[in-house]
Amino acid sequence: MTGRDQSESHDATPNVRQRIAVDRESVERGLASLVLTIIELLRQLMERQALRRIDEGDLSDEQVESLGLTLMALEDRMTELREHFGLSPDDLNIDLGPLGPLLPRDE
Amino acid sequence: MRAKTSAIWLYAVVPAAQRGAPAGLTGVAGEPVRLITGERLSVLVGDVPLSDFDHDPLRDHLEDLRWLEEAARAHHRVIDAAARSSDVVPLRFATLYHDEAAVRAVLSERLEDFTSALQRIAGRTEWGVKAYVDPDMLAAPADEPESDQNTPGTAYLRRRRAQRQGQRDARQRAAQRAEEIHTALADLAVGALQHPPQDARLAAYRGWMILNGSYLVDDERAQEFAAAVDSCDQRFPEVRLELSGPWPAYSFTTEDRERQGEQS
Amino acid sequence: MSTARDEHLPGQSPIAWQGQQIALVDLLDRVLAGGVVISGEITLCIADIDLVRISLRALVASVRAGWDTNTAGGTANPMAKGNIP
Repeated sequence: MTGRDQSESHDATPNVRQRIAVDRESVERGLASLVLTIIELLRQLMERQALRRIDEGDLSDEQVESLGLTLMALEDRMTELREHFGLSPDDLNIDLGPLGPLLPRDE
Repeated sequence: MRAKTSAIWLYAVVPAAQRGAPAGLTGVAGEPVRLITGERLSVLVGDVPLSDFDHDPLRDHLEDLRWLEEAARAHHRVIDAAARSSDVVPLRFATLYHDEAAVRAVLSERLEDFTSALQRIAGRTEWGVKAYVDPDMLAAPADEPESDQNTPGTAYLRRRRAQRQGQRDARQRAAQRAEEIHTALADLAVGALQHPPQDARLAAYRGWMILNGSYLVDDERAQEFAAAVDSCDQRFPEVRLELSGPWPAYSFTTEDRERQGEQS
Repeated sequence: MSTARDEHLPGQSPIAWQGQQIALVDLLDRVLAGGVVISGEITLCIADIDLVRISLRALVASVRAGWDTNTAGGTANPMAKGNIP
């Protein structure tokens, strides 16, 4: 909110509305990217866990198939949501500073 | 008693034989660069306003990337100009003293350190080598797992496993390349160290940066070193190498940094 | 004394020399993390620069605490920390 906006004529209101709309959009997008990042983290963890258990051989064929279908559906859903918010895979990440990024960038 | 309005920014330590700062050189605050001469060593300095360079304003400035860029380039310009006519031991960016007496005091306190640093870098130059790889070029083509339409979930997991393994293999191969290149270059240097890979958002590159090294090389071997960089570039077609330099020996001013590298 | 700078002016070698604009990241790798560190009666001490680095970390990944001490012998693998871009 700058003095300049207030001193403009009647377009002050649409400008402000426009800016608020843009702000809301970016707030939504920010929240979406945070939430999707967490979900993506969980998806990767589950995928890793599933593959490990398959390698260990303690799942039946039916369980493997069911797990695979679920993870596949989850990945598809994630992609949909990501694209809905206009987020690229790289956008889903959190920088933990000295610890590096939350999600490995190449999985 | 008048309040102090300026502080002294230090650029580099040079042998006292150095007769003066290069003419017309200006520093991080646009100030003229001058020499404070001690017995055996001198230091290139500039008087900078406390309004910008006191603790709090400076800290704020350093968080502004544009300000930081301008100041870092100015700091480097001074050091680089001085390096054209003598050995220089660069000081870390943002080394500030209250007054000249304090500067002289540190010159004599650290005489030994500075003198051995000067000896260590005499006749030597720092070169930077960065190596990049396109991960797709590293991964061996994954064997297509037999896809069974009756079990798409299982096929999916097999695919994902193959992809993960492929990524792991690519990372490993990249690490090996980086190690080979670093070793080959360090062999021609008297000091070698690796910096962390640069953030892709700031450095704007594609693929992976697998090496970000600095090498202290005898000037007589500079051509040989450049040729070695070139030959590594040829030897590893999937790796792209970039040579930067010549740099004043920023990365090799202290003893332990030199020990980290292979000695020749 | 002759330095490498005297012998290798820009344009005399196929490899890119420093005659062109120096990349900021390359510069920061060196001026922020390199150079002699001295403390004492200074107005901004190095520890404060570490704080600044932390606040710049989203932009400048050239300095990580303790990184330099981990690269002894050049065996550290930059990618082992999962920082591949």
